[in-house]
Amino acid sequence: MDRPPIEPMRTSRKLSFLDGQQLKDLQEATFQILENTGVQFPSDKALDIFTEHGAIVDRDSRIVKIPRDLVIRAMGKVPRYFTLGARNPEFDLILQDGVSYFTNDGCGHNVVDFKTGEKRASTKKDVGMAARINDYLSSMAFSWTMVSAQDCGLTSPLHEIDVTWRNNTKHYQSVTMMGEKICRYGVEMATVLRGSEEELRNRPPISLIVCTIAPLVQDKEAIEGALILGEKGIPIVVMSMPTMGTTAPATYAGALAVGDAEVISATVLMQLANPGTPVFHSIFHAWADPRTAAYVGYPLDSRARYAPVEIAHHWGMPSLGGAFGTEASEPDSWRSAAEIATDPLLVALAGAEIVTGIGLRDTYTTLYPESFILDDDIYHSARFSLLDMDVNPDTLAVDVIATVKPGGHFLSQKHTRKNMRTSMVRGVIHQLDKSGKYRDPSEYARERVQWILDNHHPEPPDEDVQKEIDRILKTADKELNS
Amino acid sequence: MSEEFYKKLMAAVVDGEPEDAEAIAKEALEANLDPLECINKGLVPGIQKVGELFSTGEYYLPELIIGADAMKAALEILEPALVGGQKLDVVGMVILGTVEGDLHEIGKTLVGTMLTANGFKVVDIGANQSVEAFVKAIKEHGADIVGASALLTTTMLQQKKLVEALESAGLKNKVKIMVGGAPVTDRYAQEIGADGYAEDAISAVDIAFRLMDAPV
Repeated sequence: MDRPPIEPMRTSRKLSFLDGQQLKDLQEATFQILENTGVQFPSDKALDIFTEHGAIVDRDSRIVKIPRDLVIRAMGKVPRYFTLGARNPEFDLILQDGVSYFTNDGCGHNVVDFKTGEKRASTKKDVGMAARINDYLSSMAFSWTMVSAQDCGLTSPLHEIDVTWRNNTKHYQSVTMMGEKICRYGVEMATVLRGSEEELRNRPPISLIVCTIAPLVQDKEAIEGALILGEKGIPIVVMSMPTMGTTAPATYAGALAVGDAEVISATVLMQLANPGTPVFHSIFHAWADPRTAAYVGYPLDSRARYAPVEIAHHWGMPSLGGAFGTEASEPDSWRSAAEIATDPLLVALAGAEIVTGIGLRDTYTTLYPESFILDDDIYHSARFSLLDMDVNPDTLAVDVIATVKPGGHFLSQKHTRKNMRTSMVRGVIHQLDKSGKYRDPSEYARERVQWILDNHHPEPPDEDVQKEIDRILKTADKELNS
Repeated sequence: MSEEFYKKLMAAVVDGEPEDAEAIAKEALEANLDPLECINKGLVPGIQKVGELFSTGEYYLPELIIGADAMKAALEILEPALVGGQKLDVVGMVILGTVEGDLHEIGKTLVGTMLTANGFKVVDIGANQSVEAFVKAIKEHGADIVGASALLTTTMLQQKKLVEALESAGLKNKVKIMVGGAPVTDRYAQEIGADGYAEDAISAVDIAFRLMDAPV
């Protein structure tokens, strides 16, 4: 199958938002919150694990206070680097310093139908469409549940896995699996795909992102589901989304402290239950409008946007950095690009191991298929900005400059002929029409989507594997949907 | 043997090898080949092929320009060797230049190359050229078209002066006037009485064909 290789963001440069003392102070705040204020875990299973390991558990309020030494001991077990397996081994992601792997946004619930233009609820078919576009694009190192399969009832997270595998050969990170039952079925499907539990552990083809509830509450279904995956060594992302002024203090440091305490408390639980479980750290703080309390992701002052990446690394954890996710409703307005334009550059410079967010509009809720292509361009623009420049006698071309002389031009030079084709890389903005004029970028983006859907057909799982998956889905539907 | 020379000349133009083109042209004359045949059967099909590859997107600007350079290098050898009534078959004769006070060359150079590649004979008088220098060159070469380039709002006024000078010299109806350059617009071209305006080198070719009343 011909398709571009994945092109992750690579850079040897680092951008620091916080200095060593600030990182220490933030960590100290988390220790104090965990030890003195505690975090609510509305799950008996979680409370049992904490009790067993010596945390202070109040069964009435379900608040767990975690002593500092227990946090330190548990956090010592989190792996810093590991591998996210893919259906196609070429797309296995080996986490490492200086490389950021990106993917699309999730998990929206509206789709602007590619054919009719009608805005409607997303379906399993849309999940497959998004997975197929993702599989083709080099900006996409792995795949996320871009929209939800709302036509599949309670087992939709499993149907999303199924339709993603039919249309995508990269690593899949579920954004929707919740609860023990769904997660057990998910693990069963992944084991069938990989062939054995050992292979599942070595090259997990799926991972899961779970969200905390700010301030300082864990979601029962999310936590219990994550524990099931942790048993098999399947990676988990714990994401906190504190909103400044409503669910967190209205100061950056305070919001980050709340978010960090949520992430670290869940990570400690995962390590106590299954030491060594791979866990990503993620805080995506937002702002509440001080007049309306509306959710704002991109105020004018969003300094230290990727400080959470540094906080993760300070704990010795890999980080998921959230990028893109504009609040604009249109696929291609000034706002849709302006809000997100510096995100991919900053998050890569901060060194996030994985980054999500390409392609949705309306604050992570609405999919225009062409937005995939438009945001892909913003991604590549950042990627090129970070590439090293070649400086050598050939690229300096001093001899060519001497030949041209002052006032001449370089178009007649064979050096120009050799290099001009590749010196300007064409994005969606510089696509030529037949008369040599630049085309409308959105029109071109729509054409690319159509081309991918018509021409790109990733290999589905083997027939016997698919049969097993179908059987698991049927059982799950019978148990949970009837 | 002659066929082989034509092929080699064509290849030198298509491959963009000016040094080869010049050397082959010299060899052809030493072998007593007809220079006009060398041009019409070697260089012309070569530059047509270059134009075709450019329009299909396979060739980029440097290939186009180096191809035209190769043709020019060979023509400089072959043209002086034309005998008797032999004459080059060209679409039209074009004088090109950048107006007085303006040192920007590249735009009009590109226009010249595109026109050459499309069968026009182009005499490029260079940058910073006075109205008088334009008029003199038009008379000297019997131009069908004059193209005046200006990249500055201060120098584009010279384009108007050129139109006026051609009117007073009684040349306004004999030579078509094309203007171009970053600040120039179609509307400005009409206001000053120019015959054509193109915003880039590719559309300049269409305009030139239209002004010659020749099929594009």
